[in-house]
Order: sequence, then structure tokens, then C-alpha cells
Amino acid sequence: MKSVRPGLPEFDYIRAETIEQVSELLKNGKPSRLLMGGTDVFVQMRDGAFSPAILVDVKHLPGMQSIQKTGNKGLRIGAAVDLNTLAGHPEVVKSFPLLAEAAQSVASYQLRSRATMGGNLCNASPAADTAPAALVLEAILVAQGSNGERRIPAHDFFTGPGQNALQDGEILTSIEIPPPPKGPVGRYLKLGRNAEGDLAIVGVAVLGYADKTSESGFRFRMALSSVAPTPIRVPTAEDILESRTIGDETISAAAQAARKTAKPIDDVRASAGYRSAMVEVHARRALHAVWTALGREA
Amino acid sequence: MTHVGKSEKRVDALGKVTGETQFPGDINMPNQAYMKILFAGRPHASIRRLDSSAAEAMSGVLAVFTAKDVPVNEYGLIMPDQPVLCGPGSAKQYADRVRFIGDQVAVVVAESEAIAAQALERIEVEFEDLPVAQDALESMAEGAVLLHPDRGSNIFCQYRIRKGDVEEAFAQADVMVESEYRTPPQEHAYLQPEAGLGYIDDEGRVTVNVAGQWTHEDQEQIAHALGLPVEQVRVVYSAIGGAFGGREDMSVQIVLALAAWRLHQRGIDRPVKVIWSREESILGHHKRHRYVIRSKWGATKEGKVVAAECEVIQDGGAYAYTSTKVLGNSTLMCTGPYEIPNVKVDAYSVYTNHIPGGAFRGFGGPQGAFAAEGQMNKLAEKLGMDAVEIRLKNVLTEGALLSVGTPLPEGVSIGKVVEECAVRSGWKRSGRGWKKPARKRLGSPEEDHLRRGIGIACAFKNVGFSFGAPEQNTAIIELHGKERIEEAVLRHAAAEVGQGAHTVLAQMAAEALDLPITKIRLVVSDTAVTHDSGSSSASRMTFMAGNAIRGAAESAMEKWHAEERPAVGIYQYRPPPTTPLDPKTGKSEPNFSYGYVAETVSVEVDTETGHVRLLDVICADDVGRAVNPQLVQGQIEGAVVQAAGYALMEDFQEQGGEVRTVRLSTYLIPTVRDIPERVESVILEYPDPIGPWGARGMGEMPYLPLTPAVAAAVRDAVGIWFDTFPLTPERVLNALKESETP
Repeated sequence: MKSVRPGLPEFDYIRAETIEQVSELLKNGKPSRLLMGGTDVFVQMRDGAFSPAILVDVKHLPGMQSIQKTGNKGLRIGAAVDLNTLAGHPEVVKSFPLLAEAAQSVASYQLRSRATMGGNLCNASPAADTAPAALVLEAILVAQGSNGERRIPAHDFFTGPGQNALQDGEILTSIEIPPPPKGPVGRYLKLGRNAEGDLAIVGVAVLGYADKTSESGFRFRMALSSVAPTPIRVPTAEDILESRTIGDETISAAAQAARKTAKPIDDVRASAGYRSAMVEVHARRALHAVWTALGREA
Repeated sequence: MTHVGKSEKRVDALGKVTGETQFPGDINMPNQAYMKILFAGRPHASIRRLDSSAAEAMSGVLAVFTAKDVPVNEYGLIMPDQPVLCGPGSAKQYADRVRFIGDQVAVVVAESEAIAAQALERIEVEFEDLPVAQDALESMAEGAVLLHPDRGSNIFCQYRIRKGDVEEAFAQADVMVESEYRTPPQEHAYLQPEAGLGYIDDEGRVTVNVAGQWTHEDQEQIAHALGLPVEQVRVVYSAIGGAFGGREDMSVQIVLALAAWRLHQRGIDRPVKVIWSREESILGHHKRHRYVIRSKWGATKEGKVVAAECEVIQDGGAYAYTSTKVLGNSTLMCTGPYEIPNVKVDAYSVYTNHIPGGAFRGFGGPQGAFAAEGQMNKLAEKLGMDAVEIRLKNVLTEGALLSVGTPLPEGVSIGKVVEECAVRSGWKRSGRGWKKPARKRLGSPEEDHLRRGIGIACAFKNVGFSFGAPEQNTAIIELHGKERIEEAVLRHAAAEVGQGAHTVLAQMAAEALDLPITKIRLVVSDTAVTHDSGSSSASRMTFMAGNAIRGAAESAMEKWHAEERPAVGIYQYRPPPTTPLDPKTGKSEPNFSYGYVAETVSVEVDTETGHVRLLDVICADDVGRAVNPQLVQGQIEGAVVQAAGYALMEDFQEQGGEVRTVRLSTYLIPTVRDIPERVESVILEYPDPIGPWGARGMGEMPYLPLTPAVAAAVRDAVGIWFDTFPLTPERVLNALKESETP
């Protein structure tokens, strides 16, 4: 049995003040790791998954902890904004309640005081709760590196379990949420083994809005967590919802399409079979919830 | 009465709330060294070679101790079948084997925890793997690989009950119910992982400051392994962060003492400190036992149970721990608190390579109750009879004979307890008998896929040690002052495991001495200054200590009046004797006191996801006398929540001897959002004639009926009997799907 380490291995802590400083530190050759809330980094360090010589705290870089409106009702969220702040921010609650709901579903209140949206995304867990929200809101992840700024669409960001599209020397500085479509309704439904704190067995984010240019008169975006190597969008389900008259039957068909798209595995939390069945149930429930709310507003 | 019956503030409240209280992990001594333990990491192997020289040569390592350093390399609460350290070099036969993943192989003492951890990796161990026994049924079969070859069989305990003639009675029964119940392991998940300090005290005693449940038993086991007289060993419990039975057996006690003692012999007098991580705690201490219980019960159409036949197979894991005592309880409780004229029980404790089974709140009772109450609920259903009605036709009454052929001690209240619980839960009694509440009383679920149901179960649980085990409790009271008593010192060993024992001791002392509680000073949980109290287990401490305190108070007061200053009263309370099960018939006087309990549970089942949500739990518990009603309520609510985890969520996954759930992120216990929406504690006070101020024990009782009541409620909701749990969403959904396909 691997010996469980009594504490953290030794490391140097550096609080970075500028992007340039971070790039320098990342280039100087010593194994280093970026630190945001630390809720994943410290656990993995304690387990001996890696032992960086330097932890570079990037929470205090300019703009990392602020939430700002962008033109035309979009939002720019600093990567180091903690999840409690995100979930309670008036602009987020007003314009992107789906994101607030997703942030609120992560772990427990105490952890959310530390954990950040940027960290949640960069950690690139298939179970990351803010990822499906980022996917359906079609967020842009803004990275800074020595070559300047790079804007990465959320759907290009997750490249594998624990892997993201950032290049060496790049750090995620903000998440830009583009202006929402008119009259959007969003839901994030998370199924865990308990009511608070567990990782998702399945997470389903749905965003729907009226759009006269689609055949059904509506457009839907759907994304899933915990049922594939990365968080994923479900275009097959979205197509069904755009091309057929919305009702119970169409919703069920879309939920089944979600189930077919999912490629879950067995783990300590649930079997692949159960996850698969739950994708359908939760996709249907999330769609119903969104559809009902859209109907109310229409 | 001025103190007993009052919800006095806990004596330990301020220290715990402010953080001032020092738990073993918080205590640091000058010049202390640090210990890490090398665990086996594999379920079954013999150690061919062990070389610690590279570890010992490391800078900062003070010593490495292995089997060869343990004077008497064995221990065990019931039988010494476990090596302190596994490996070659000790006189103990087969001590070179490891039998579960958490067996201890070596200890390193170093200048820092980090150095000790690095040194562990330098210890070379050559294992030769042995076949892994992971199923008790296979393990008890002929030809199975023996865990302890010197014992000749993996069955290490066997009981039987023969009362009447079950075959003849079955022939006359109108209905029969036959089932196989399987119960899962459970992790204690106490707040404080194992930790402690070992050192040589001012009087030269090998001293261990840890969290345990029975100071004097720890002391004995340490003394045995170290080959020292008992007086040369001292055990102190400074504060204990939860126990639930999980601290009844040794974890870090012996190795801490060993390290301090061996260092001392080498001229190094330094305290040694160890703190287990959560992972080490989960791998390193025992679990609630897995059971397979096969039950066949018959009843007449009038609802009288005429015969019960049970086979009870307990997975004891790698070592005995308290398995044999746990099995005794299950043997008695697998037929429930019912008068059944014909009973046949065969019960077995079996070794496997699982983490050992051991004490856990309820101590064999919950498993027995799950089978007994399942049988009762199924019989009721088969007879078209109400679940309360059938219970009241069969519950034990004053003078009625248990399965073991003797009556319960006076003060049998189970019938009244069941009635009270039923009435509180909406049952109605009419000329045609009892009738459960109408479905609409359960409220309407919000969605079509949600189904609600209600279920009931009841149980009895012994207070104190059973089946002839030596049982006593000793209290010392010193009265100081001249004309008036200025201060009363109560010396008592009772382990305050979080249940409120010390508060209750102070209340009872104040009551017995007729003094304000502020005049009572407690000197507790230290073998150097207290006498043996027995363990904080078996729901016994209030009962046993209360009687001892009364005796000590009386004696001290006599001496006070005879002008002795200080006036010191020592009193050892011994309850009425119990007797072991007769090997052929099981005839015995199993216990001197019981508590009685009944619970109803209403649930909501999500038929699409399989989630079971607990709505209302109503628990009626006869506690005899609630010495501190608020603490009693805390025990009821705590037991219900812990049992809710057992019933629904706690899924300890051990495959091939490896554990997949070594953290609280993979092994889930209920959070505040998972617990029942409402728990109503109905505290009943039918006095126990020999209990102090009438008190019975109550710490375990509310745990017992919950799981079978949940199973009955789920049956009511969705029409499926679950004979196996935890009722995880996946298990429930699979069963729902199976029931749909004809």
C-alpha cells in the first residue's frame, strides 16, 4: 500500500503580482504548479500525485477576482472568483441563473469559499459542475501567456480527463460569458449519491430559448458531466429539439439521444449502466423544467 | 429529584465549543518523536523476509520495530489471535502472516513524520501471497484455506439454540416465511481518526494517551503484549472524538507503548506520537460485521408465531476482535423481542481476509433485528394482518420465555413501547384490531414517479455485558471539607466518547450526594487514579456507573457522618449474574437488563432514480429514566441518522481484500441534507427495577429498528422486499426494473 503522506511535501509559495512574473516562474525550469483555491491541488499533493518545488498563487493577478459586465449583457468572470461569490453575484443570478445553480452544486459551502470557477474548469475533471454550464453558455476561456492572449471556446477546452487546452506557460485569467440569447431558461440538474458534497454521478445542463428561425420555434443547448472522458455537448439531442414540435415525445427522444451520446464508466460512485439510465432521466427532467418555464414565459 | 431528569449543560461543552479541549492528536510533548506504521497493504500473505536496515540507517530515524521486538506478540479483546506486528522473528505461531490489508508490519520512530513516512518506503518486505478468502460461506466450507492454521477451522465460534421442536411446529403452521438476509459492513467514521502519545511517566510507567472505550482493558492488553505487570502500564483518555464501538479494540495503543518502552530500554526517553490519516483509520480499524441470516418462520392464521429457524453466519474478518460476543447478541436477537415456543438457531463466526468485524453500535443487534423484523413484517403481510397487530400478539411479556429458555428480567415494556409508537404514528385501534394510517396521511408526492410508504419495526437490546462475561463498575467518591462538604471528587474511568457520560456521572453524583452539581469534581479516564469501569459500550455506562456512584456516595456519606476527612467511599457494583449459552441447547440467562424500542419510518421512493428519501421517523424508546433528557434525545437522533446511513447510503466496497472506499469522499455518510426530515423522539420512562433511579441503557436501541422499518416502508411504497442493503439508488432501481419484467 502506498504510504499515505502525513502532510504536504515542502514547496516554495510565491504570490504572483503580474502575468509576466508567472511566465518567468513557469519558464525557470523548477517544477511548479499554479495555485487557485487549492481544493484540488493540495489534495493531490498530499497524495503524492505531484510535488512541485514552487506553488505560484495566481489569485491576486489583476482582474482575477472580479466579475464585470461586458457590452451587450455579457459577463467577464475572473478565473479566481470563488464559487460562493459566483453563485451569489447579482449579475450572475439575474442573467445566468444556470451558472449560479451549477456553481452552487459544487461540493459544500466551505469548499466553495475556496474553490474557483477557473480552477474547476482547468482541473478538467469529467465531473466538473461548472463545465456543462460553460458549454451551454458557450463561454470563451481567456488565457494569457508569454505570447499574449488566447481566446479558447469552452467546447475546445476539455481535451481529456484532467487535461485542458492550455499550453505551457499559459494561464486561464477569465471566463467570458457572451450575451445570452433572448428569454433564456437554464437548469443544471446534478445527481450525486448524497444531497450535498458528492461528485456528480450525472450532471445535465440545459439552456433553452424561443427562436422563430428554428423549425420547433425553440433552440436548446444541452451538456453533460460525469458520463464521458470530458464534459460534453449533446448536438443530437439539440437537433431533435430544434426540428420537432416540442412536447413529451420530443423531450423523451432528446433524452434518449443524450443517453446514446454518453459514454460512462463504472466507478465507486455508480455503474456505467446506472449512469447511462440516469442521463436519460435527468436530461428529460431538465428539459421538462426548462420547457415548462419557457411555456410560462411565452 | 433535583439533578436526575434535568437537561444539565454538558460538563465538556465549553472546552469542546471553544476548541480548548485537547484530543490525542492535539497534544504535543517536549522532545517528542513521531511514529508511522507500515501496513500490510495486501489481504493475505506470509512474510518471507523483512529487512529494515536501510530504514534504520536513515538520518533522523530513531528506531524501527518489528515482530521480533514484541515481547508477547499477540493480542485480542476476546482471544489473542492477532499479532501486534506481523512478520518473522516472534515466538507466536503463524505471526509471519498478514491476514487483512490493515495488518501492522512495522513501526518507524523518527524525528519527524515526514522522515518516518520516507523510512517506511525503505523497509524491504518480501511477501508470498496466499489465497484470499472473501466470502464467509466459502470460508466455512470443508477444504477452505485456513486463516489461522493452528485452529484447524475458519469457524471460530458456534452457538446453537434448541427450544421445542421446530419441525413439528412448522407442520402445524398456517403460513411460512423463508428468507435470506444479507447485511453489509459499516465504517464508524468518527470525527477523530486514531492518534496518541506513548511515553514513560514520572513514576516509570509505560503510558499511552489515546482515545479508547475502556482504559483498564487497554492497559491489560498493552501489559500482556509487553510482558509487563499491569501496574507498570498506564492508559489515559484525554478526550475522545467519537467511538461507536470502533475504539473497543486496539489500534495504536500497543505499538505506542511498545515504541516508548523499547526506546526507554535503549536509553532514549522521548515521547512518541502518532496520528492516523483518515485512510489509515478506515483501513486500520474494524467494521460492523457482514452477516448472512437464513430465516424460516411459521405462524398460525391467528398471527401467533409458532416456530423460528435461523442460520446466522457472521463474517468475522481476519481476527476475532469481539466477534464471538457480537454473535451471541445476534443469536438472541435474530428471533426478535417475541415469545416463540419453538426455536432453532445455528450461528457461526467465520474468518475471512476482510478487515475484521467488531463492535459497532448495536453489537449484532441490528443484523438480528433486520432478519427478525423482516420476517415479522412478511408474516403480517401474508396473513393480511396489521404489522402492529401481529407484533402485539407475539411480543415478550413479563415472565415469558426467551428463545434461550429463561424469562427476561423484570420490567418488560416492549408491548407498551410498540403501542405508543404506533399511536404516535397514526395507527388506530378498533374492535377489529390495529390499523395503519391511511395513505393520504403520508401526504401526496409532488410528482408521479414518487411513491410514499410507511413501515414499523421494534427491537430489544441488552444493557451491559452478556452471557456470563464478568461485569462490574467501580466508583470512588471523596468528600472534602470540614463542617460542610466543600467539594465531592468522583473518580471514575468512564470513557466520554461524546455521548455525555461525564455529564451524566456528575448529575448522578450530585443527586446521590444531594449536592449542587458545581460541587462535583470529576477525575476521570486514567488508570493511575481510577478503578475499572468497564467499557463505554453495550449501552451500559449510565446504568452501571449510576449504581456504582450510588453505592460509593452512600459509603462516603457514612464515613462523613463518622467524621472521616476526607470521607472516601469506594463501591464496586456487580449486577445480577448472567450465564453463557449452553453448547447444546443455548439455555442461558443472557442479560440482566434491556431497553425496548419501536420505530416507524415513512419514505418517498423515486421510481426513476431509485433514491429513497426518509420523511418522518418516530422513535419510541423506553429509557427507564432519562437522566438528562436532552442527551437522550441527542442519542436517539444520532442513532437514527447513523442507522439511516447504514440503511441507505454507506456502501463499504471491499473486493479481493482491497478497499475502494478509503476516504469520506468515496465512503459517504449522511450529510445534514440527507437525514430524515423529521425525527420525533418519544422518551418513555418505564423504570428498570434495578437501574439507577430506574434508568436503562439507551445509546444503541434507537439504531436497531430503523433499517427493517425502512425496508417495510419501501415495500409499502413500491411493493418490493429488500433483504439486502444499503438501499442505494442503483440497487433500488435494479429491483424496480426486475419487478417490471415478468
